[in-house]
Amino acid sequence: MRWLSRSYLTLVYLLLYVPIVVLVVFSFNDSRTGYNWGGLSLRWYDSLFNNHAMVQAMWNSLWLALTAATVSTIIGALTALALHRYRFRGKRVLNGMLFVVMMSPEIVLAISLLGLFLLLGLKLGYVSLLLAHVTFCLPFVVITVMARLSGFDERLPEAARDLGASDFTMTRTVLLPVIMPALMAGWLLGFTLSMDDVVVSTFVSGPSYEILPLRIYSMVRVGLKPEVNALGTLLLVFSLVMLMLSQRILSRSKQ
Amino acid sequence: MMRSIKQQPFRAAVLVLVWGWLLFLVLAPNILVVGASVMTRNPSTFISLPLNLDAYRQLFNPLYLDVFLHSLYMAALTTLICLLIGYPFAWALSRVEKRRQMLLIFLLIVPFWTNSLVRTYALKLILATNGLLNSALMSLGVIDEPAQLLYTEGAVIVGLVYLLLPFMILPLYSVFEDLRQDVLLASHDLGAGRFATFKNVVVPLTLPGVLAGVMLVLLPAMGLFFVPDILGGSRNLLVGNVIKNQFLDARNWPFGAAASIVLTLTMALLMFAHRLSKRRLGEEGA
Amino acid sequence: MKKLALAGILALGLTGCSSDDPQVLNLYNWSEYMPQEVLTRFEDETGIKVVYTTYDSNEAMYARLKLLDESAAYDLAVPSTYYVSKMRNEGLLLPIDQSKISGFDQLDPELTGLDIDPSNQYSVPYLWGTTGIGVDTADIAGDPVTAWADLWDERFKGKVNLTNDMREVFHMSLRVLGYPGNSTDPQQIEEAYEKLTELMPSVRTFNSDAPRMPFLEGEADVGMIWNGEAVMGKESMEALEYVYPEEGVIAWLDSFVIPKNAKNPEAAHAFISFVLQPEIAALISEDIGYATPVLSARELLDDEVAGDRASYPTPEDMVNAEFQTDIGDEALQVYAKYWEKLKSGL
Repeated sequence: MRWLSRSYLTLVYLLLYVPIVVLVVFSFNDSRTGYNWGGLSLRWYDSLFNNHAMVQAMWNSLWLALTAATVSTIIGALTALALHRYRFRGKRVLNGMLFVVMMSPEIVLAISLLGLFLLLGLKLGYVSLLLAHVTFCLPFVVITVMARLSGFDERLPEAARDLGASDFTMTRTVLLPVIMPALMAGWLLGFTLSMDDVVVSTFVSGPSYEILPLRIYSMVRVGLKPEVNALGTLLLVFSLVMLMLSQRILSRSKQ
Repeated sequence: MMRSIKQQPFRAAVLVLVWGWLLFLVLAPNILVVGASVMTRNPSTFISLPLNLDAYRQLFNPLYLDVFLHSLYMAALTTLICLLIGYPFAWALSRVEKRRQMLLIFLLIVPFWTNSLVRTYALKLILATNGLLNSALMSLGVIDEPAQLLYTEGAVIVGLVYLLLPFMILPLYSVFEDLRQDVLLASHDLGAGRFATFKNVVVPLTLPGVLAGVMLVLLPAMGLFFVPDILGGSRNLLVGNVIKNQFLDARNWPFGAAASIVLTLTMALLMFAHRLSKRRLGEEGA
Repeated sequence: MKKLALAGILALGLTGCSSDDPQVLNLYNWSEYMPQEVLTRFEDETGIKVVYTTYDSNEAMYARLKLLDESAAYDLAVPSTYYVSKMRNEGLLLPIDQSKISGFDQLDPELTGLDIDPSNQYSVPYLWGTTGIGVDTADIAGDPVTAWADLWDERFKGKVNLTNDMREVFHMSLRVLGYPGNSTDPQQIEEAYEKLTELMPSVRTFNSDAPRMPFLEGEADVGMIWNGEAVMGKESMEALEYVYPEEGVIAWLDSFVIPKNAKNPEAAHAFISFVLQPEIAALISEDIGYATPVLSARELLDDEVAGDRASYPTPEDMVNAEFQTDIGDEALQVYAKYWEKLKSGL
């Protein structure tokens, strides 16, 4: 049983990483058209490092995804807790609104949010992007946390309350540890969604804050350059290095 | 229960924040969408008065029903495949030692941080007639002629599954993580076989995760317009493509808005009907 | 090694946040559609910082500029052919002062004074190209392909690529039927649609993100392709030929325009002049792979580039060629209706 589940995990990981391996290999391909193998070369890394606008866009994207995922995790978790624990009027309306966000085609979300920001006179840039990204990440967090909460033993918070804990203390000490895996899952989904969004961002961003997906989609005019493979590779290496560092720190702090 | 109604600062703060956000960033823009859907299209200002229901009338066209059903079919198939791959995956993942789980989760999601357009192109390199998969199969002698994989419905499904799999796995993982080993042992001790334990204990306990995963895959799958464009040769229109084209190419905003509203209502109705039929079945069973 | 890469990324990230120059030019353009070297040299020469923002379709660019209206902050945009006339007619553009543009007289007379902007009051050509037929000569047998009508040939069943562009696909079909490519006659558009339904079983893919790719992938043997893509594709696939169809190629022209609410039109004029210098224009053409309208720049080009008929067609190649024009809203709805029908296979 154990080896079966291990080999299944390995198989799925392999399948997930196949396209990524292709991407990494082709980032070292000398050919410009990105199809045939034209020999080993670092030219795309070189041209990437000279493409300040692209690197800047990547940093903007990372920062936006980091903040959007964090804010949407906080608000999403609170929303899920409110839906789960509190009795208040309009629960269905709240649920309905989250559903509408999930279901709205991106272009509708994009144009309606831009319409709103323009009505309010909000300057387009980081703030408008953050508001939009948090909004479309929100239902993903709420749904994930709700799933976790629905199997939760209701007597625990009751007991905590009976022991005199305030609502806030109870949430922090009893509920938070319970929903932790869901928070992590929700944060990761939010980060992924935000890193990848292009339609909504096209409309609500301004010249002061351009993000990576826009630049990549816009390349279709002259063809996707293998530079994006180099960028993908660097991002992958960067994530993996960060991952290993955090693992080392975690295991050391435990010792 | 009475206690939670008592006014508390934390509760009030939470409700104000949540309601504030949703009213401001979801309700308000959606009022704009509803407004746009009942206005008249105008070539120079996009929309203008007078109010009318023309946009909704235009939706009564067998073409759109067809597109909707086709999208729903593709999305449902994607969801099913994600579930079949994701369910055992999440289970297996939750049984790895705790220390390793974090690492494995991150390894799962890291590939998804590379732009999906770039990854879709990598998939193309694999699936094309001159692509890696065909070359590999041919050199192994499995096939003689390259198989037509790219620009087929199958390629679109592969693309959708590849892009959406973590949206199934992560919510599932978060419920499996809670599934305690002692519950399974207890079931086993009570004489339940493996299958009975699975059916009567594991499935009910993880059902919320399944439902969450289905939502997170099914709904976005209807709107991922660039996957059919790139992997399907854009020969099948999906709902997402039609609505995007109406806004940008045809510049018929009232129609695009109306289509989006009807889509949302239809999906909500489908889910509601599904829940209702489930409940009825449950009552009969009890 | 990993640490080095990390340090490199960090260093680059920091260089992005430098001093705030008072003089800024907000350029709204396709990404990678202006070489970094040109931007750097412009910045060094004039001290004006270029902020380069991108869009992924003319439609999105148009919708945004229109929606943003007064809050738009772009000084220069690069719409394709008929979007110039559309934006001009809707009052979205500022007139360009030709006296402030040096090098205007160097432009190809064939590419100025077009219907989209008869006296170039609002636009200055940047790059131009054509949409013709790409042929994988290694994979097809029989007579050479010479016309759009050849796409309907039985031998190409399942091997045809079309661009994913409503206007271009209908343009092609209208030309095959002998109608003008910019027809606004519903009858003719319907006929073009009927003609296209006959082609659909042959169509492998609609591709507008990189029309060379279906050829390289081995998925398509013949079909619509942009000339620049054909040139690029030839680098890795010698057999890929670019054919000017008898019925006429579809010509397109990307032009600089200054949006109505530009904050710094002076800088926009300076930038246009800078780009029209023969040396810069030649650099751009070589880097991007499309033809420059600056005549004097052509002499500076590599012989291989200047002599490539795909990029720089002969007058005979351009017989029957048509630029797309703004067909107006009514006709657009007719096109859109048939396009949806075509793509959903009903």
